[in-house]
Order: sequence, then structure tokens, then C-alpha cells
Amino acid sequence: MTAMQQATGTRPSWFTRFWAIVRYEMLWNIRKKKFIGVIIIAFMLATLGLVLPSILSSTTGTAITANPNFAITYGASSFGFFLFALATAMNSISSEFESGTIVPLLTKPVSRTMVFLGKLFAAFVIILISYVILFTYTTVGSIFVYGPQNNLQLVPLVLLGNLISTFIWVSLLLAMGSLTKNTIITVLVAVGLFLALFLAIPIVSVFAGPSPSLNYLPGSGADGSMLVGNTTMTINTGTDNICVNLVNYVLYPSGNVTFSKINLQAIQAGQTTLPTTGVLYTEPISLIALRALGVAFAYIFVFLFIAWIALKRSQILE
Amino acid sequence: MDYAIETDNLTKNFGSLTAVNKLNLKVQKNTIHGFLGPNGAGKTTTIKILVGLLKPTSGSVKVLGQEVHVDQADSRLNIGYMPELPKFPKHLKGAELLDIYGRMYGMTQQQRAEQIPKLIESVGLKDRENDLIGKYSKGMQQRIGIAQALLNNPELVILDEPSIGLDPVGMVEVRELFKAISKEGITVFLSSHLLFEVEQICDHVTIINKGSVLASDTLQNISGALGPAMIHIELANLSGAVIAAVKKLPFVSGTWRTGNTLFIQVTTYDDVRAEISQQVTGAGGVIVGMSQKTSNLEDAFIQLVSKDKGEKPQ
Repeated sequence: MTAMQQATGTRPSWFTRFWAIVRYEMLWNIRKKKFIGVIIIAFMLATLGLVLPSILSSTTGTAITANPNFAITYGASSFGFFLFALATAMNSISSEFESGTIVPLLTKPVSRTMVFLGKLFAAFVIILISYVILFTYTTVGSIFVYGPQNNLQLVPLVLLGNLISTFIWVSLLLAMGSLTKNTIITVLVAVGLFLALFLAIPIVSVFAGPSPSLNYLPGSGADGSMLVGNTTMTINTGTDNICVNLVNYVLYPSGNVTFSKINLQAIQAGQTTLPTTGVLYTEPISLIALRALGVAFAYIFVFLFIAWIALKRSQILE
Repeated sequence: MDYAIETDNLTKNFGSLTAVNKLNLKVQKNTIHGFLGPNGAGKTTTIKILVGLLKPTSGSVKVLGQEVHVDQADSRLNIGYMPELPKFPKHLKGAELLDIYGRMYGMTQQQRAEQIPKLIESVGLKDRENDLIGKYSKGMQQRIGIAQALLNNPELVILDEPSIGLDPVGMVEVRELFKAISKEGITVFLSSHLLFEVEQICDHVTIINKGSVLASDTLQNISGALGPAMIHIELANLSGAVIAAVKKLPFVSGTWRTGNTLFIQVTTYDDVRAEISQQVTGAGGVIVGMSQKTSNLEDAFIQLVSKDKGEKPQ
């Protein structure tokens, strides 16, 4: 027994070691220039969203329309999720291998599962804190700009939905980083996939209609519409809209979403709304919200499992 | 006997390449054990298996009496390891790194507060512990590497080329540090290319080549195995006739060559350089340089490795 152990008397608990890894990872994250950059960009965009209407209203001389739902509808952004995930997880595992820092780390009394979970938890905490600050900022700002806000109790649900949407990309990046151990390949694959989904889904929707298969891909999903009172709301079913659909489910639990295809042949010059075919199918909002959650968790689970197995099986050659 | 490290027919293949070949290594507790071998001999691969970074293809490893398996966290609680040219996260400060690693070992705040400044001072990083590691020189990274290997007061310290990148003063300081920790009962297992360093601090030595043990014994036995003295002759062109002529001398017990250098093992403590010179010249050899010295680790190393490469004693 060593002098140190003689002094402590016991071996360190799982939690003690896990927390040391979380600390190690968080210190890295908060000192990463790209993460600080993403935070700055996110605050700039949030500020722009709040301030731009005021600027426009002062230049055009029209008053800002009150929007009591701004706080619970503003925030879902595919690009934002992707950027936050990229800044937090793109090199979380791969750079340990590239720089060689994995060697001293894995020769400490920590298992690879602990390292993996520690990194994952640190990413979760960092994104959660960033989102809490960002949402507090936009919520308070929206009250000043758009007047009193309704359903503020749903803001945490929006935040939770955004976290889940972001974690699809976080888990994909961790899986790629763990498999390739190369940050450039990881980023290229993730950016390629993001752009493919970002561009392909709307194009597919236009030509093939709101195919149900779109609901099972990460991204915006199929386009539909829901009638609430006299207003028709556009509903996107994908994993990027979990927060919006959870809110819609809470507010309109019996709402139904109808899906139609754009009638390309009927488009005429000067039309303000696109003509559609008849209703293809209808789904309750509850199904849409819960299915998007299920799909998101399935992706997160599969990608994280791949990342964990790849890290467990890695041999440290360098 | 109680061994700190014990391997049994340890083998590691990378595809068709056998990096470690049925290696049987035994390191006694409370010794400073040098682990030597030419480049590519399998030293670093062996060490990576010992610390659980690589999985052996076959054979077994015991460290401090425990079977080593990849990803067995608890088996590393009493081991300190410093990799060759260690790399640490650049975003952490030196003291922060030791603090985080200390937490991984389960050290209390008080233990860390006592141990970390002491180590920082002993490796010569005082006043630089609050700098980011990214700003450290190679030598300073080496020093923080030594500090983190000793952080948990381990029973066994495994060091892979610990002197690379250190300045001469740093090398002396580090050697003194290893001697001091050995006196506290810590087993030091040291891989190095610096044979003079090994000679100065190790009491046991294992020499490996092509993944197998060539010799493993006390430093004294390995260095003295060649006889009382060794003569090195550098020739313009070393021929078979010269070797045959030298071998006729009654006090020559063995010869071997590396290029145009002839190593002559003699059985006498007398200065026999004149007789050898005469014999070489008589056989048509042109001597460029000659020296006589007591057999040392370097001679033993060169002889063992040359022999293993097929350059057999003549």
C-alpha cells in the first residue's frame, strides 16, 4: 500500500474519478476559442432577433406588433444546434488521440467508459448552461420588445427540446471522432451530412411531398399545417423542431396536422401562397411530438453506443 | 520472489509484425531496473502493455501481483507512468493538470495541496506551475511528465525515455530524483537509450531485441560478463585476416565487429594494446584508433545486440 493510500485508506469512488474527468473536459471547453466564438455568435444573433424589429419599426415609423408567444417560439434553429454541437464535441475525443494526450489520461486510474461519460456529461453541462443563459436573455429581452409573454412556464420545455436536438449532432460528432480519431474527417462528415439534410429535405419535400420517411431523418422533417382557431400554423415534424412541437402538444393536445403536396403545375405568377394538392394524410400533434422525441433518442443512443464501443476498443499506438 | 513486473511469454503482433515475442520479463521490487534495446526492439510496446494501453496478442502480464487487462482502472492506482515525449492538454496549467490527475487518484484536497508544490519544486518547475502547458518547452513538458508519474506516491514508476529533451543539469537532477524515490521503496522501471544514465542509476538491467529478452541480470553481472577489459579498434578496412590474427593472441577470449570497428574481449587487466597493434599491423590492418577500457554496459549491450543481429563473435 502506498503512502497516499495509507493516508486515504480507501480507493477513490467511481464518482470522484468521473468528476475529475468532467472537470478536465469543462476546463478545456470553456477555454476553447471556437466555443467562445460560438457563444458570441449566438448572443449576437439573439440580440439581432430582439433588436432588429425595434430598428425596423423606428426606420419605417410603424409600431412593433406585440407577440406574446415570442419567448416560446424563438430559438429553434438547425444551424444553431449544429454550431453548438460542433464547438463542443468536434474534437472532444479525436484531438486526445491526435495530440497524444489520451496516453497520460488512460494510464490514470480511470476507465474508458468513465472518460467517455465524463466527456459526454461535460458537453451536456456546457451546452445546458449556454442555453439557460441564452434563453434567459431572449425571454427577458422579448418582454421588453414584444410585450408580456404567454406560457412562460413552457420555456424550460423549449430549452429541453433544443438540448435534445443539439445532442443528436453531439452524439454523431462523438461517434465520428471516436471511430476516425481524426478531427478533420469528423468535421467534414458532420458538415457534409448537415448540408445534405439541410438542402435535401426541402427539395425532396417539394418534389415528392411530405413523405413520412422524412420524419425518421435528423433535420426539419416533413412540412404540414395545423388549424388553431382561425389561424393555420406551419408544422415541421423533424428532430430540429422537437421544442416547438412539444409546446404545440402542450398548448393544443388534440390538434391535427394535415400534410399536402405542393402542386407545382398550379403555381401562377403573383401568388402569395403556394397551391397544394388535396390532403395526403393527417397525424395528431401528439404523435408528431412524441415520434420526433423517439427518433432523436434513437439516434442519440445509437451514435453514443458507437462512440463508446470505438473508444473501448481503441488501441493506443502513438 | 516478489516481482513488481512479471510477464510470461508476452507476445504482441501488429499484423505480420511481431513487436514483442514471447517476452519473459521479471522486475524485482525495490530496484531501479533499466530496460534497454535498440530502436524498434519492442520496449515501448511492452511498456504500453504493462500500463494497459495495448492488449497483448498472447501471454500474460502481472504488475504488482495483479493481472493486467486493458481498461482495468484500479490496476493503475499504484502505478506512475511517464510516456516517451509525453503530451498533456495545452489548455491546462501545470498545477491544474496535477490537481486533476490527483483527483483521479482520489487524493484529498489536503494531499494534493501538500504533494503538488513539493513535486513541482523537485522537478524544477517552481514559478512556472501557473503557466499553460501549451507555453511549456519540451524540457518543461518532460518535467511535468515526471511530476505526474510520481503524483500518487506509486509503488511502481514506469518511465519511457525520461531524459529526452532535458538539458544536462535537468538530466542530473532527474537522476538524483530517481535515486531518491528508489530509496523510499519505490520500484523504478526505466527505458532509456542513454546507457551511461542506466549505468549510473540502475541496479538491474534487461536488454531486449526483436521483442525478446537477450539478457536480464544485475548491472554488475551484465557489465562484467565480458571479462575484465575491452579493446576497441577502429580500422581503415577490417578484414578476416586481421580478426584471425587477433584471435591467435592468448589473452583474447572473444571478438566481434560492427562495421570497421573490432571489439576485443581480453582476459587480463594488463595493458595489451601494443601487442594487439603489432598483430593487427602484421596482418595488414591499418589502425585509425584504439582504446582500452574496463568492460561496461555499452560493451555488453553492443555485443548482445550485434550477436542477435547475426554479427556473431568471430
